[in-house]
Amino acid sequence: MEIPYTVKSRPDTGLYNGKLGIWLFLASEVMLFGALFSSYVLLRVGAADGTWSMGLMDVVVGAGNTMVLIASSMFVVLAWAQLKQGNLSGRWGSLRSWGYIQWKWATVACAVLFLIVKWSYEWPSKFVHYDVWFKNPTVLHEKIEEGYGHDGELNKAELWSEEKSKKFSLARLYIEKEIYVERFFKTYSEEDGGSHKAFSKAWDNGSLALSGHINGYEEAQINVQVTGWKSGSGVSETSAEKLLVELGAGDIDAAKNLRSQGGSLLEKVGYDVAKRSEYKLAKAGFSVVLSVAGYQAVEAHPYFWRTPRINEDIGGQPRVKSIKFALDASHHEVDGETHHKEIVINTDDVKRLNSYEPKHSTFFGIYYTITGLHAAHVFGGIIVMLYNLLPIGLATWHRDREQFANRIETFGLFWHFVDLVWIFLFPILYIL
Amino acid sequence: MSDTHDSPNFIQYLIKLFYMVGGVLVVGTLITVLIDVMFSMSLGLAAIIGLSIALVKASFVVAIFMHYKWDKKLIMITWTMIITFFFFAGMMGLIMWAEGDIPEWGREEVPTIWPVLAAFLGFLLPASFTVFTVKMLSQPADTVVESTPKPKAKRVARKKKSD
Repeated sequence: MEIPYTVKSRPDTGLYNGKLGIWLFLASEVMLFGALFSSYVLLRVGAADGTWSMGLMDVVVGAGNTMVLIASSMFVVLAWAQLKQGNLSGRWGSLRSWGYIQWKWATVACAVLFLIVKWSYEWPSKFVHYDVWFKNPTVLHEKIEEGYGHDGELNKAELWSEEKSKKFSLARLYIEKEIYVERFFKTYSEEDGGSHKAFSKAWDNGSLALSGHINGYEEAQINVQVTGWKSGSGVSETSAEKLLVELGAGDIDAAKNLRSQGGSLLEKVGYDVAKRSEYKLAKAGFSVVLSVAGYQAVEAHPYFWRTPRINEDIGGQPRVKSIKFALDASHHEVDGETHHKEIVINTDDVKRLNSYEPKHSTFFGIYYTITGLHAAHVFGGIIVMLYNLLPIGLATWHRDREQFANRIETFGLFWHFVDLVWIFLFPILYIL
Repeated sequence: MSDTHDSPNFIQYLIKLFYMVGGVLVVGTLITVLIDVMFSMSLGLAAIIGLSIALVKASFVVAIFMHYKWDKKLIMITWTMIITFFFFAGMMGLIMWAEGDIPEWGREEVPTIWPVLAAFLGFLLPASFTVFTVKMLSQPADTVVESTPKPKAKRVARKKKSD
């Protein structure tokens, strides 16, 4: 069966076919996003207290992005209205004369701005933001005293009350009020299921995480030692020796020595070099021992780190010995400037470390899924808009104006739907 | 949009409406943020307020931006949306029962009729609707063809006027 193209509304459906098609498509989109929204709600309602980090979202940035999307939604419908009036292109200088082309480019600009904010600011700033969980509650409490003691003193007046102060330290009161309640609960409450009970539990069993940014770390420098060679692996002596030279053994005589008697091949190399050498050597029949020669301090803000990145065992030592961790919501004055308080965390004490990536928690998993799917729709929309702005798309306008106006109208319907999804996403992700 | 609403005056009226809706959306967003920043409230109340405002905003977008206000008499769109709603509700019902954890009533034994009904709404209705639509549209509607040249002439005339 072939469905003919109609420019005018059919009397039986009351619509031109393209419009009916886009409405059917939108219906399927409703189901797609609806399923994800429902999953979100189910997961949100079912989440244990103190695991849903909605308070981490920056409401101002979210609201700004909402405005940008609202503007783009309005521009796209204005572009269509101009097209209906036969105004393809006006003058850029006067807003009143703006036609389809001008409003459409404005829409594209808004859509691009939306994606820039999302993909170059909102997401990446989460990928360098970390949570650290400790193996031992005592260490956690020590770190909190060290990191937030100063802030506790500063905010004494607010935090202090006779009854509380007898039981809890100021640092503890500060982290509960300024971080825990803000992040996981809307309000402070001492009732069952309220923030205080959940916090006390997390405090006592050590499941409370410290959040902040990694400012630097001590990275292992690794010695690669060859301890023996077996000829059974199908690699000849000369090719094994060649490999040693290639990897940095010096001349061929040194390589011969190394192959027959073993010894140190590389000293104080980085992790990647050491691991690559180990792999190649093992393949060529060598037995290899990696050991940590020392640690080198690195100043960097790494992305996407997880626990294995810091505590991977290299000859009995961890890959990263310690991290310099700048704590959230902490203040520390250096030369008159306020910085985040930086504490040093030994990786031996760390149970888990994770940036705010999808793996971090259920919240971030569904957050990236929904916003990612939405961003993909925005991206797809930009491509369609560009097509309709370039000569190849505009050719339709010169052939059949009605058809082109209809095409823009159906695109508009899609674009409004994308806006609609965001209208619901914004309060759900940023505020609830 | 049906042809009666193609007149230049109506488009001008629409453009005014579009600006107004844009204003409503911006104000709605501001109110949402201000409420969140200024008052601290329980999650339930925040959810009700936040989603109510979102619902109002969404209604404006659908009604004005997507022209549903003028299209709702077109049974095809309304019908599509109604079926979508039932399909969606049925699907969510199944998910909740499968999940069996939330909400409380999900823990009870489910009468067989409900999954059957959900499957019916979820599959048979959209499927039959699609088949019906494709069948209908594959036959050209006879009144469409003759009216095609007309709007072209109309458009040329309008263009002259605007120049």
